[in-house]
Amino acid sequence: MIHTAKHDSDITVIRPGVDRLTAVNAKAFKDEVTALINDGASQLIVDFQDVTFLDSSGLGALVGVLKKIGHRGDLAVAGLTTDVAQMFKICRMDRVFTTYANVDAALQKMAENQ
Amino acid sequence: MIVDRLKIIVAEDSELQRLVLCSLINGLGFEAVEAEDGVEALNLVMETGAQIVISDIEMPNLDGINLTRKIRELELDHYIHVVLVTGADENEIRDEALEAGADDFITKGSSTAMLKARIRTATRLISHAAELAERSRILKEINEHIQEDLRAAATAQRQLLPDLQEDIMGFRIASAFVPSAIVSGDMFGCFPISDTKLGFYAVDVSGHGVHASLLSVAIGHLITPAYFRTQTMLNDLAPDPAALVTSLNDRFSPSDNDDYFTMFCGIVDTATGRLDYCQAGYPSPYYVDLTGATEPVGDGGFPVGMIPSATYENKIHHLDAGGALIICSDAACEAENPSHELFGNDRVRMVAATTPFAGVQDIPTHIVDALNMWRDGKPLEDDLTVVAIERKNSHDTHSQA
Repeated sequence: MIHTAKHDSDITVIRPGVDRLTAVNAKAFKDEVTALINDGASQLIVDFQDVTFLDSSGLGALVGVLKKIGHRGDLAVAGLTTDVAQMFKICRMDRVFTTYANVDAALQKMAENQ
Repeated sequence: MIVDRLKIIVAEDSELQRLVLCSLINGLGFEAVEAEDGVEALNLVMETGAQIVISDIEMPNLDGINLTRKIRELELDHYIHVVLVTGADENEIRDEALEAGADDFITKGSSTAMLKARIRTATRLISHAAELAERSRILKEINEHIQEDLRAAATAQRQLLPDLQEDIMGFRIASAFVPSAIVSGDMFGCFPISDTKLGFYAVDVSGHGVHASLLSVAIGHLITPAYFRTQTMLNDLAPDPAALVTSLNDRFSPSDNDDYFTMFCGIVDTATGRLDYCQAGYPSPYYVDLTGATEPVGDGGFPVGMIPSATYENKIHHLDAGGALIICSDAACEAENPSHELFGNDRVRMVAATTPFAGVQDIPTHIVDALNMWRDGKPLEDDLTVVAIERKNSHDTHSQA
């Protein structure tokens, strides 16, 4: 379900490919991103621009992926829409994930940090 | 064991031909049941339970094609396999017979081998149908068992919830608990923890269904009034709901799956109205004062069981006499209408604002009703919990009742 694009400096941008990341597809999302990590991807940006809704299972999957990367790399999120941003705020996920306004901003910052 | 031979109804008006056909069929190990015409054959279909009919086309009273139609009109719960005996070139009649619902044909004067093959086809279909029926019966039975177990689990879960018929320590409390799938991943509790303090919590396990409900019930069993008191009243200075949440986080973080839960818990002082609370990813409740003015309580906090090192904060809010706290799980704000629009926090807040006028007892039902309307009667996709706690006005005449 996910779409990925590899950029310079080994950063992978992931678009979930659904407008709602929920209990219905959270496991598939996690499995596919985990496969990317197992294949060596370590600098990841999840692009939420087209995701209008994230439920508790979706958030659980995202945190699961973050734990999977651990100290080996970085997982940032970009382009949070209103309801998703609200979900992040109420769960304090803005303190767990580095968030960027959009993918371009994330790419620039992450490349600088390397 | 005597096995009943499979009955085959033979409808044929010519006595000689009928005898020949019947003896062939009996010779093949079946039990031929004779019918002189279509009417008799139809009666035998209803009386004998036979599932195969071999019929001539031309017969007095009721011919083969009309017999086929009549059999189909019966709409029996088992299928009747109809084989018609026709002449070699009677293609038009065959077309008409197929329209009427015939399954197969034998040409008059066919060999025994041909008859045997036709009957074998019919019996194979019959045994397939019986097998399918048996499988679906077993599945239905298993499903009924599972449903029964789930209902028993749901009853057990409901028994964990507090009985809120009576007011507790000067608080009027009402609730709604609506599982999306018989059992719920939600849990809440409400109890006195000292002479002057009321403790309460609401929990929402991520996901829903059986998996989430097992964790929610475990949490419900764990958070007894004694546990709640011990965790939150460790020092005499002030209640410490964050300590309760931290201890739960320590307990539930080590699991290597993605399970976690959100929580809101608090302690209200009956004399002063001071609320000490801790919010852990649960939606902010609304505080509603006597005039219907609302404000969200809390601006967020880490969920429980997600991040082992998460820290939790104690916060304070004040409940005026007559003021109420409306706690609502995210199933409310996340409920979608048929055009996929979320119910949203603002609508939850609007219903909460009616508390002083509608009465706190009715607010949970009003929220459930508003969500039902929003979803056009479709059941919620997530478990809903509403808990409404009102600090009663000392001049409140209701409280004397």
